[in-house]
Amino acid sequence: MGNGKSAGLSKLFTTTPWYVPVLFSALVVIYPFFATDYFIDIAFFFGIYALLGLSLNIVLGEVGLFDLGHAGFYAIGAYVTAILNTRYQIPILALLPVSALAAGLFAYLVCSPIIHLKGDYLCIVTIGMGEIVRLALINNPFDLTGGPNGVFGVDFPKLSPNLVIDSSIEYYFLVWAVVGLSILGLISLQHSRIGRAWNCIREDTVAAGATGINVRHYKLLAFVLGAGLAGVAGNIYASKLMCVSPESFTFWESCLMFCIVLIGGMGSIPGVLIGAAFISLFPEIFRPFAMYRMLVFGSVMIVMMMVRPGGFWPRKRGGVAFRSLLEDTGNGNA
Amino acid sequence: MKYMKYVLMASVLLFMAAPALMAADKEPVVIGLQGPITGAWAYEGQMAKQSCEIAADLINKKGGILGGRKVVIKVEDDAGEPKTGALAAQKLVGQKDVVASVSTYGSSVCEPASNIYEKFKKVNIGYGVTAVRLTERDFKYFFRTCGRDDSQGKFFANAVPKKFKAKRIAIMHDNTAFGKGLAEDTRKALDALVKAKKVELVYFDAITPGEKDYKVPLTNLRESRPDVWYYTGYYAEAALLVTQARDIGIKCPFVGGNAAINDEFVKIAGIKVAKGCYMTNEPLPGDLPYKEAKEFLAAYKARFGDIPSSPWPIYAADAVNIIAYAVDKTRSTDSDKLASFLRDKVNGVPGITGPIGFTAQGDREGVPFYLYVVNDAGKIVISK
Amino acid sequence: MQLLLEQLINGLTIGSFYALIALGYSMVYGVLKLINFAHGDFFTMGSYIGYTMLVFGIAAATAQFGPWTGMMVALVVSALGIALVGILVERSAYRPVYRAGRLPAVVSALGASIFLQNTIMVIWGPRYQAYPAELIPAMRFQFGQISITLLQVIILALSFILMAALYTIVQKTAFGSAVRATAHDRNTAALMGINFNRVILFIFTLGPALGAMAGVMVGMYYRQISFTMGWNYGLKAFTATILGGIGNLPGAMFGGLILGVLEMLGAAYISAAWKDVFVFLILILVLIFRPTGLFGEKTAEKV
Repeated sequence: MGNGKSAGLSKLFTTTPWYVPVLFSALVVIYPFFATDYFIDIAFFFGIYALLGLSLNIVLGEVGLFDLGHAGFYAIGAYVTAILNTRYQIPILALLPVSALAAGLFAYLVCSPIIHLKGDYLCIVTIGMGEIVRLALINNPFDLTGGPNGVFGVDFPKLSPNLVIDSSIEYYFLVWAVVGLSILGLISLQHSRIGRAWNCIREDTVAAGATGINVRHYKLLAFVLGAGLAGVAGNIYASKLMCVSPESFTFWESCLMFCIVLIGGMGSIPGVLIGAAFISLFPEIFRPFAMYRMLVFGSVMIVMMMVRPGGFWPRKRGGVAFRSLLEDTGNGNA
Repeated sequence: MKYMKYVLMASVLLFMAAPALMAADKEPVVIGLQGPITGAWAYEGQMAKQSCEIAADLINKKGGILGGRKVVIKVEDDAGEPKTGALAAQKLVGQKDVVASVSTYGSSVCEPASNIYEKFKKVNIGYGVTAVRLTERDFKYFFRTCGRDDSQGKFFANAVPKKFKAKRIAIMHDNTAFGKGLAEDTRKALDALVKAKKVELVYFDAITPGEKDYKVPLTNLRESRPDVWYYTGYYAEAALLVTQARDIGIKCPFVGGNAAINDEFVKIAGIKVAKGCYMTNEPLPGDLPYKEAKEFLAAYKARFGDIPSSPWPIYAADAVNIIAYAVDKTRSTDSDKLASFLRDKVNGVPGITGPIGFTAQGDREGVPFYLYVVNDAGKIVISK
Repeated sequence: MQLLLEQLINGLTIGSFYALIALGYSMVYGVLKLINFAHGDFFTMGSYIGYTMLVFGIAAATAQFGPWTGMMVALVVSALGIALVGILVERSAYRPVYRAGRLPAVVSALGASIFLQNTIMVIWGPRYQAYPAELIPAMRFQFGQISITLLQVIILALSFILMAALYTIVQKTAFGSAVRATAHDRNTAALMGINFNRVILFIFTLGPALGAMAGVMVGMYYRQISFTMGWNYGLKAFTATILGGIGNLPGAMFGGLILGVLEMLGAAYISAAWKDVFVFLILILVLIFRPTGLFGEKTAEKV
């Protein structure tokens, strides 16, 4: 941070007092009882974007790998759910781990050969991967994906034959329960050997390799976990909308996820939540602007970055340590 | 300075009383419109918005409905995207004053949105949603004023091979939900003729919309030597396709689906290329013999300078008309009453696009199709 | 053979559009390490300005001096206009941010892209717009079996002239070497007395101007433009930039041309619907075996 004032500000944001998560969780639990279905649905999509942001944060925030094709993993999760549910009537909740595994496996297969690429070269390859997934969905291989129409008629999740998740408020609690569990998991990951190895790779890949960290292995692990979580988001999304179609998984969607992580602050879980709130709430808030809606949204994105270039809630350790990514050293690529 | 205070007080009072005064002047009947106001289909959404507003204006000029209540359109943007569409629908069903919704353009956006309308029991009428499956779900509150892909496909199979004495037929679509749906339904409709060896389907493939160069798929089309060529996508690509096809020497008649040819098509392709291009279409606004159509188009042209460049916005206007009609006749804004009225009682109600009626599934009854052709002056006229 | 040659020419035409756009990406990337997502929208806006010029602004000029003048005026005005837009965007969206690093600038660039795209929609309306027909006489040249239109000749010639001019400026002039030095090592270049701000000004004028001219040419070639087309062209041009080796100007040019040809050949011999999949697969394969692109040099890494 350049000046004293914003340094003070970021200090305020980087230390998380105990009552912040408690208050936030309480708010999440109480909120739907005071909101209309429309506002609950907005909060639902906030939850979906929070999941997507958390999943990309593993790859981008923790390990520092530029991934602009994350919508591809999200699509795999959604389509696996939709196809298996509509064809074989497998229950949605049983498909939750299946879609996570499918997306993770897909990530493992496509990322293995490209994991050695650096910076922007990795970035374009992930863009290409995401686009290949989307184009494949449109072209309807083996008559599986329904082409541009997509797959429709996806079922509701059922906890038991009588307990069906089919209202806005139930979906809301489903997605936020998953977000909560993921956050707990990710926090313990951050403080584990794996999390430290990831951050070490992010700060200095060569040094990490020299200290005996299997760089390739850990990078792949990040992609697989990130993709798996995106697959979970896809599963919930598919059952909420009851249909999936390729236009939900465009390059633009990947860009939005990228923005979530950067607007919030790389590697920071509260940051991801703020970024996801921004991406999901602002276009709705700007509805009265009608055709100027996205114009306003675009300018707000720019202003956000001017005001807080390091993100709204940067990670504590990250405050000083993001040098390698933030500074343009000019090397690292040709 | 002294009476300044009284002026101020009086104006404040007036300001506070204004809503009450307005309430005394009967509350308007609000009809929702969900459409793509932003995003890639923004021109469709914005024209639909204009059309609905004109339709509402015309109703209001005649004294409104329910004995003097005005019709007001409330627009929600769905950006042509399923997720935003779900939110827009959710927002509209959450507003108690919205009696019914005109929703939307694009079948894959309509799908999740209509699920929400159904769940919250709100009548919703699609205006640019032609996928067959939408009305096969047996929804109670979903209707559409536009036709279905298969009715157009059947028309093509009946009329076109005869007209051109064509044996070899090529079908090209654009991989959008609409274009592909129409192409496949046409293929199904042609099945009987193919089985009877009357015609042969020599080409069936997709192009990628949004691109500019189609010489390669067209070369393949040329190699298949068709007698007639049916393109089921939108006018933007159709204009490029025909221009480039003539460039590489494809001379067979071009027939477009109902989104392929309009005045923009003629403008982009140029009269020289566009003349002699055919299209299968519902009767165009200008050819509609109905007085409602003439009145609507005159009002539209007076306000916006030109008539809508695509067929869909007019169906949106008719959806507004039929909702207003139903509210007026049932003297109710209750969704169940409106839905059963639309399904059972609406039959041959005059609309801009002709008599309106709905089948038990909620489909528009009897949308007629014609074969149109671009004449030497660049006008689109019914082919004799 | 005829098919192959025809597709090669079509591919080169599209490729030269990609190449012109890619140059803008590549210059900005070279100096700032910033992926300028708004660049595709510079291209679109250029196309729309050219459209306005051709339809309204210079009807008089065309009537008096013939279509060639009209075309040149449209190109020049559009290039100048977009150069101005480029500088404005750089000043308002990038400059306040890039001192904080390169990632915040990515968000800023995406924001700028949405902003520009929707500005175009608000100004020119959401409908497709059509360039006037037959600006250039519909002449054809026949070389053996293949035919090529006059417009294609003009586009190819103009693109190659523009690329050659840019190449000369960057490689042969003192100012060009300042740009290259800055791209190589910004801090050392600044120590040598190179004015960083002037370099920025240079790349944000020339890059968008080239993109705008590509936009006008696309408008003349296909005659139809839409406000969302920049995203598609931008993505392809960015792919071309990486294919050639990012920050490397000749690389970006050849990357664009190769991409255009690959696309056409993929469409012709594999499948039109799968051609983009084919293009991206080739890109990924190239990068697996040459991790810094076709023409990128492998630099030793400082540790």
